Amino acid sequence: MDQTLIRKLVSADEEYLRDESKKIGHAETISFPETHEQVCQIMAQLYETGTSVTVQGSRTGLAAAAVPFGGHVLNMSRMDKVLSMRAEDDRFYITVQPGVILQKLNKAIAARSFDTSSWDEASQEVYQSFLKAPVQMFTPDPTESTAAIGGMVACNASGARSYHYGATRRHIQAVRAVLANGQTISLRRGEIFAKGLELTIPTEQGDTITVQLPSYKMPNCKNASGYYCCEDMDALDLFIGSDGTLAVLTEIELSLLPVPALTWGVSCFFQKESQAAFYTKLARQIKQGIVAIEYFDPCALDILRRQKAESTAFAGLPFLPDSFGCAVYTELHCDTEEQAYELLEALSQYCAAAGGDPDMTWVASSDSDRDMLHFFRHAVPESVNMQVERTKHTYPEITKVGGDLAVPDEYFEELLELYDSTLKEEGLQHAAWGHIGDNHIHVNILPRDMDEYSRGKALLAKWAGEVSRMGGAVSAEHGVGKLKAPFLEVMYGTEYIREMAALKAAFDPRWMLGRGNLFAPQEEVE
Amino acid sequence: MKIIVCMKQVPAAATASIDPLTKTIVRTGRNAVTNPFDLYALQTALDIKSGVGGSVTAITMGIPAAQKVLQDAISRGADDGAILSDRAFAGADTLATSYALSLGINKLGGADLIVCGKMAVDGDTAQIGPELAQHLGISHVSDVSEILEMAPDHLVVRRVWDDVEQELYLPLPALITVAKGQNLPQLPTIPGMLRGRAAQIPTFTAEDLQADIARCGLKGSPTQVVRTFTPPVRGEAQTIDGNEAQQAGQLVQIIREVLHGAD
Repeated sequence: MDQTLIRKLVSADEEYLRDESKKIGHAETISFPETHEQVCQIMAQLYETGTSVTVQGSRTGLAAAAVPFGGHVLNMSRMDKVLSMRAEDDRFYITVQPGVILQKLNKAIAARSFDTSSWDEASQEVYQSFLKAPVQMFTPDPTESTAAIGGMVACNASGARSYHYGATRRHIQAVRAVLANGQTISLRRGEIFAKGLELTIPTEQGDTITVQLPSYKMPNCKNASGYYCCEDMDALDLFIGSDGTLAVLTEIELSLLPVPALTWGVSCFFQKESQAAFYTKLARQIKQGIVAIEYFDPCALDILRRQKAESTAFAGLPFLPDSFGCAVYTELHCDTEEQAYELLEALSQYCAAAGGDPDMTWVASSDSDRDMLHFFRHAVPESVNMQVERTKHTYPEITKVGGDLAVPDEYFEELLELYDSTLKEEGLQHAAWGHIGDNHIHVNILPRDMDEYSRGKALLAKWAGEVSRMGGAVSAEHGVGKLKAPFLEVMYGTEYIREMAALKAAFDPRWMLGRGNLFAPQEEVE
Repeated sequence: MKIIVCMKQVPAAATASIDPLTKTIVRTGRNAVTNPFDLYALQTALDIKSGVGGSVTAITMGIPAAQKVLQDAISRGADDGAILSDRAFAGADTLATSYALSLGINKLGGADLIVCGKMAVDGDTAQIGPELAQHLGISHVSDVSEILEMAPDHLVVRRVWDDVEQELYLPLPALITVAKGQNLPQLPTIPGMLRGRAAQIPTFTAEDLQADIARCGLKGSPTQVVRTFTPPVRGEAQTIDGNEAQQAGQLVQIIREVLHGAD
């Protein structure tokens, strides 16, 4: 066994103690494996002492899942190779290591350019067909494009286009993983299913693990909260969205789709939030061609206006007249221009019906125009982060207090009213944007001092309780990690959390993996 | 004010390719976009129209598929468009292109103001605007970054070069070429997109324009592309001044020095 893989964590490794949540953890040792075999060795070694292990991708997560809670940091950033390619029924599948960065992967797919030198003959052959096939895409599009694929699988990440294409889960075909004791499992979609709520998984070493799945009913909306569990489920789905608590993923097979002939973006503007919600309701009636419906609230637009006026970096943002109260961006993926124009006509009618003015819309049908709208979309979270960073100069403890809540269709208007009334009541500065098509808006509270920070966190907890009552999800795409573990308990209740814990213990009896994630006491993170 | 905007379809940056034999850009119309500088030209024209009234017509020369740039222009607010398309125009250099455009503009009844982009991002010559003004016998100002004053009979414009900033009074009719400045192109609206799609765009052939075939297309193009390369950045800019004859004399001297070394 290679004893040099694990080394002491030193002060130069400080960055590996935190992620985008800005929380800071602690750890004693760290490793940077490059292969599946090395992960097996590391886990077997750590199993002897029962050392806790925090798995890290590129640490872009917002729920502190990659922040270590003592023990060992297993950093997967050097497992960044694309390993093979396969084709089946006119679809292409690529197997990647978990440290592959989404942005780089997307570029390689679009440019049809992979380093195939270490691929086997079958993959090389498929690659030749891939080069001649229509350009492909991997559809999950979280805002943070520097996310690692392993991290995206760990939290079942989604993004704007998940409205149509679904979250990461839908695009994962197989995984290989290392368990806490160093044994390994391989799961391919469609091969192993639970019988009712009993699931048996064989290890590659010949053992079997039988678990009782939790009996809760998952929310009927976008969801990244806790283990994916239901009767007769595919075993693969249990490991997607498990927040690094069941096994360490070492190989992930992703499915690709052909890029549509046309990608158009349409922004409609409204005076009131209720009008935006009504437009969304109408747009959701269209079943083909709409892949994203995104919202920007009045505060988000005001932030952009200020940025455009004050910073040359944002001068390229389109002009936003004062009459634009809030905005809804709709993205179309179409096979023909005919279809795209038909959708435009429908959206024009819906915009007018909801109280908007079709003459005050933006349509992006070329690359440069789309780039402008993408800039617009990404400028909002970027600006909010800049504002929080400024506040941190005075109050270093302050972080962005961001919600990731989603509810079933019938509760969305109630949720909007809840946000509006409670934010007004508390007088907190905020900005909201996100996936209105999925009833999933990120309300971000921007505290200006420690009092507002505390009140913001309390408000977020209150919303989590209300959303749970509505049958919604306390995390729809960021994952639960450490920060939202208390909310998960509110959402499912202690009995179901106990069932989740029993499930975890079956795979990880020494409770080593992702300690603090899903089940953590909040106060253990600084 | 009657304003005509010259627009060009160029290959999308990621898909541009050069014909290895003719060393000219391959134009198939697939993955083609509106020259980005022309969008700034169009926005400038629309801003002037909104200031002093009038109409904006977009014109282009190219294969039939190039009428997409005119639909794009109409979707962004142009009133109408016209395309010059004929096999006789194929392979045109800037001289032959500007000749054909001048005939097209005359066919449209002329204009008070012609607006071009500073240059096209495929050829990078920045020659069409000045040559077109010459064909039409009107004044021109290149690299305009801002319209400081607009009136039915004149404009006051600002242009910024490396070491010079000028404010110029320009009586109309005239031509300007436009750089990226305050005139950030606005996006089309939904009704604009539908208008662009439905627009009836007239096509003018060489015969329609009564063009001298010897001055059109490859035949009318004295330019020979020997090779294409990125010139080294020398960090030098030189301003020449004086009357036309003096400026031309200085220019000839500079070109001679570049080609043959100092006398």
